[in-house]
Amino acid sequence: MSSQTAIVRISGISKNFGGLAALQEVSITVGRGTITSVIGPNGAGKTTLINVLSGFLKPDSGTIELNGAVITGRKAHAITRLGMARTFQTAQVFGQMSVLENVMVGCHARTRTGLAGAALRLPGVRAEERAVREKARGLLAMVGLAGQASMTAASIPIGSQRLLEIARALASQPAVLLLDEPAAGLNTQETRRLGELLLDIRRQGITIMLVEHDMELVMDISDEIAVLNFGRSIARGTPAEIQASPDVIAVYLGED
Amino acid sequence: MHVRKNIPLILLVASVAAAALLITDPYILTMLIFIGIYAIATMGLNLLLGFAGQISLGHGAFFALGAYVSAILTTRFGAPCTAAAALAVALVCAIAWAVGLPCLRLKGHYLAMGTLAFGEIIHITLNAEVELTGGPSGIAGIPVLSLGPFSADSDARYFLIVWCVFIALFVLTRNIINSRPGRALQALHGSEQAAGAMGIDVAGMKLTVFVLSAAYAALAGVLYVHFVAFVSPQAGDIMFSIKMVTMVVAGGMGHLWGGLLGAALLTVLPEMLSYFEDYDMLIYGGILLAMVMFMPGGLTQGLARLSGALRARRTAVRPGAVTGGRTEDPVPRRTAQ
Ligand SMILES: Nc1ncnc2c1ncn2[C@@H]1O[C@H](COP(=O)(O)OP(=O)(O)OP(=O)(O)O)[C@@H](O)[C@H]1O
Ligand SMILES: [Mg+2]
Repeated sequence: MSSQTAIVRISGISKNFGGLAALQEVSITVGRGTITSVIGPNGAGKTTLINVLSGFLKPDSGTIELNGAVITGRKAHAITRLGMARTFQTAQVFGQMSVLENVMVGCHARTRTGLAGAALRLPGVRAEERAVREKARGLLAMVGLAGQASMTAASIPIGSQRLLEIARALASQPAVLLLDEPAAGLNTQETRRLGELLLDIRRQGITIMLVEHDMELVMDISDEIAVLNFGRSIARGTPAEIQASPDVIAVYLGED
Repeated sequence: MHVRKNIPLILLVASVAAAALLITDPYILTMLIFIGIYAIATMGLNLLLGFAGQISLGHGAFFALGAYVSAILTTRFGAPCTAAAALAVALVCAIAWAVGLPCLRLKGHYLAMGTLAFGEIIHITLNAEVELTGGPSGIAGIPVLSLGPFSADSDARYFLIVWCVFIALFVLTRNIINSRPGRALQALHGSEQAAGAMGIDVAGMKLTVFVLSAAYAALAGVLYVHFVAFVSPQAGDIMFSIKMVTMVVAGGMGHLWGGLLGAALLTVLPEMLSYFEDYDMLIYGGILLAMVMFMPGGLTQGLARLSGALRARRTAVRPGAVTGGRTEDPVPRRTAQ
């Protein structure tokens, strides 16, 4: 994997919350087209890392490059437009909208219709609307939620909401997809299907950065794994290397 | 567009046409005109409150500003009504933008307080700027709406204008709701974080919907002032701002028909209750309280539940009737969490 070009380069990122160093000089390179997982015990700083990458938090120092361009400090919506989309550790669907509409919102970054065009339903707007609807239906089918398209997002089970978040993020046509514990709350069978879905997404050329506690899933599908502990990146390597690393076993795997 | 989905709108158009032809009672016409005007204002406020989930307790001020600007332009400067109306709406949009920029950084209670303060400032200014606004005694002798040779000089004509404006705005608003910007503003309500993650400029979208909803209020204020032919600072005071919010909540937040139903209820109810004289406010308050308790989704949800129940009974009576297996919630949009 090391021969692959990097799509995301995280260099020396630090983030403090008051006196707490949530991230300390973290550097991780995500290879293009890989599934790169970030693991670590609770409070290691994984979500903070995703928040920094996706523009929800400003790092105190360090830089983030996406496709060679520095994106540190840019706003969340701008980063999505640049091709990095995310999901949330606690699912954040648009509860009062339908499942289909949720995914259609995901197309926002790649469509243009403004207020006036929308109000007047200009012909171009109609065409765009049809395309967005079709695309959203396709993505719902891909994650297995086609049957729930017209239900309100708040009314579907939490596991389905997580899949919906993935479909919604994919609608923004990301080059990189950041997933924060997508398997949390899923049963074994659902987790297996999630693993297949993620491999499917990777096959489509989308790079995935996966934060996950489910070790079986992580070891199964990851190309690379980075380990965080107390805000520091302490190891990185292939699943086999990570499983064999005494450091990792000591601070992380041995803990459970 | 499916015909079935448009049935309520078609019914409304037909009723408006029939009413314009048949109703001659000035009292009823006046009431219908006021309902239409308030329905326009609350449709805009519903975009902000019901769809985008942002509170404003200052929308009465936008209504008053629209009314005042049009009144001043027509009476002091002899501007034609249509030009005055357009300028009034444009000016209010600019003011809403300037107010929204700092206010919308606030959330929840703070946003409520910020917009409330703005409303008070406008109210005080309208009272104090005697030379421009006539102070507490207001402005009288405002001309009726006219465009070229056509003048809305009868109640029936004014009724038609107000309701044509409402219907046109309804269609435009529905188009917005069911499209990219409309979905973006509803996403704000669901989760601002997730909206940002979808590439929506959260701050920009909030400001847009705030200005848009102020434009509806201003237009309603314009229609109001050229009908009543008089305006005083009371037109858009805090009580009116709260009444607008009540109309949206009682009608159904996040339902396009909610504004109209709420406006109708809160206009007709006090009139009917005046029969009870001293007790009218008590009963009025009681009814609103009961509605909030038993119909938290407002009238639209109440009606949707009712029709859902009726439909369910009909299908239950006909054995073997196919329901199509739809699991769709009859009322997809709920009130704010
Ligand atoms: N907004 C915040 N303000 C203050 N402290 C925070 C904030 N966000 C996170 N922290 C702290 O930073 C540390 C890292 O948190 P983070 O959420 O990144 O951990 P995590 O690795 O995602 O953990 P988990 O596996 O439990 O999700 C924790 O100690 C947490 O309490
Ligand atoms: Mg986390």
